[in-house]
Amino acid sequence: MSEEQKNKRILIIGMAGGLAKILAKLILQENPSWEILGIDSRDIVLNEKIPGLKTKRLLYSRGNFENLFRDSHFDTVYHLGRLSHGGVIQNGIAERLDISVVGTNRILDLSLRFKVKKIIILSTFHVYGALSDNSIFLAEDSPLKASIKFPELRDVVEMDQTCTTWMWKYQGEIDSVILRPCNIIGEQINNSMTKFLTSPLALRPIDYNPSFQFIHEFDMAKVLYAGIDKLPTGSYNVATDEFINLREALDLIGSRGIPFPISVASAFNQILKLSHLQVPEYLIDYLKYSCLIDNQLLKEHIGEDFFRFKVEESLKLLANI
Amino acid sequence: MFDQFYLGLSPQNKKQKERVFKALEEKYKDYRDPWGFNLGTIKKDIEFFLPIYKNYFKVRVFGLENLKDKPYMMVSNHTGQLPIDAALITLAMAFEPSSPRIIHSMIERFMAALPFIGDFAAQSGAILGDRANCKWLLDKGESILVFPEGVKGINKKTKDFYKLQHFSSGFYRIALKADVPILPITVIGAEEMFPIVFQAPKLGKVLGLPNLPLPLNLFPLPSPIDIYIGEEVPLGNEITAESTESELRPHIRKIENTIKSNIVKGLDERRQFGDWLRKPINEIMKKF
Repeated sequence: MSEEQKNKRILIIGMAGGLAKILAKLILQENPSWEILGIDSRDIVLNEKIPGLKTKRLLYSRGNFENLFRDSHFDTVYHLGRLSHGGVIQNGIAERLDISVVGTNRILDLSLRFKVKKIIILSTFHVYGALSDNSIFLAEDSPLKASIKFPELRDVVEMDQTCTTWMWKYQGEIDSVILRPCNIIGEQINNSMTKFLTSPLALRPIDYNPSFQFIHEFDMAKVLYAGIDKLPTGSYNVATDEFINLREALDLIGSRGIPFPISVASAFNQILKLSHLQVPEYLIDYLKYSCLIDNQLLKEHIGEDFFRFKVEESLKLLANI
Repeated sequence: MFDQFYLGLSPQNKKQKERVFKALEEKYKDYRDPWGFNLGTIKKDIEFFLPIYKNYFKVRVFGLENLKDKPYMMVSNHTGQLPIDAALITLAMAFEPSSPRIIHSMIERFMAALPFIGDFAAQSGAILGDRANCKWLLDKGESILVFPEGVKGINKKTKDFYKLQHFSSGFYRIALKADVPILPITVIGAEEMFPIVFQAPKLGKVLGLPNLPLPLNLFPLPSPIDIYIGEEVPLGNEITAESTESELRPHIRKIENTIKSNIVKGLDERRQFGDWLRKPINEIMKKF
């Protein structure tokens, strides 16, 4: 192992999230001599001390980021700090665009300026959109249609597009990897899908039954880690080979759910809006139409038997939460 | 006279149904698709529709010897205002051959988006008519049923009954890509289910439908149905999925001509149904 490989410095943006914690632990288990700095604008609560990991609560401002990149020479940057759409939406679209797109642009520019070797960005399969006429297994070059119907997803799509344009423009100077995972589920994940599946009040569609792809949080962290050495510059869908329909998924978790016609969910959501209990409107479409992604490109680099968790096992583990 | 309203099954058909269910369970025990294929739903569909198929529409199938145990791109004429012809072909392919199969028919985009109906269709094996979807199924060794005339075929005016409409070329390109042969299918008798029809495409557009047929009868008449399975049409060796439209057209025309000649033959050999009514209706409808 070269000296450079021995002493890598990693920056993880979005350290308060469950996935970031699993990733940090995995990296340091495999490479005890590496150093990780995890930052977040939220409180970072660690259940256990992870040797080699330092964390810092930090306001995501240009000045703070500049100081950070100037003071520490990072080899790899993980950008996991995408603004979640889950729960009650408090940020307007302009603010979300500022945080997600302008903020991401800043991180990309600083990575280039301060000679980071690789940047790994966590996007989402939501960029493709859940549409009734979606083909199965959308490849990475499929159009990103999510914001056509739901402008509130503009930040998600624009962030992905900004990163893609930037990635190809500077491919000679910095390696960049954009990951578009399917639904990440697990004990430490707090996204909308995990909340939906584990809620005793989960709506069980009686009029639609779309297929879903799920990836266990640990397998997702493994893909993020593989991003350092195994994935060359490019965008990658992240999913296992398996798919499962929504009713089967709810059955596996043991969720009885509330049988509900999803076709009237939008109207119902308008009523919930009055009490600020609404769910993001676009998620309703994900309960109606499938949005399955193709994993061929990823498998070419990580191999066929990379994933540890079968979808059935991942879902059953959710039942214990 | 009223035997078409008897919805029971003969002992022979009951036995055949049990054999079919067993064979389907074996064939599809490990099959899953991303649209929600559900053999349980399909068996219920067969239970419900088989008496209608046998007694109401009195379906006869010719050319079963042309059907081999391999995947096909089945190409059929489209008739009868509602996609009942697709349901009857699907049932025929499950019930009649020695090795039963569930064929996957293509549904329109608007239908796939409908609550309940889209889910029911997907569970029954029907999928959105999309090239990637077709290719996925053919690669898995499944057979698919396409109607290259599209909505123009199904929603014809009475005076245009059995006039084959222009075939689009998409199906042929998919067959070339997946390297599966084409099996021409011809359905006779479905047009007479709704003998007098007016088309209201503008009103249909307002309702978000590709067309709106307004038949005089709302319930399909018990017109006897004949299904002809033609001989397999091998794909042209000199063409590929990327060939030009003019290079593909002669091959597509060959399929159109096979179906056209089967329509002529089928109309000659069809069973008597409302002949006393058909001639005057045709005379009247020619004026519209």
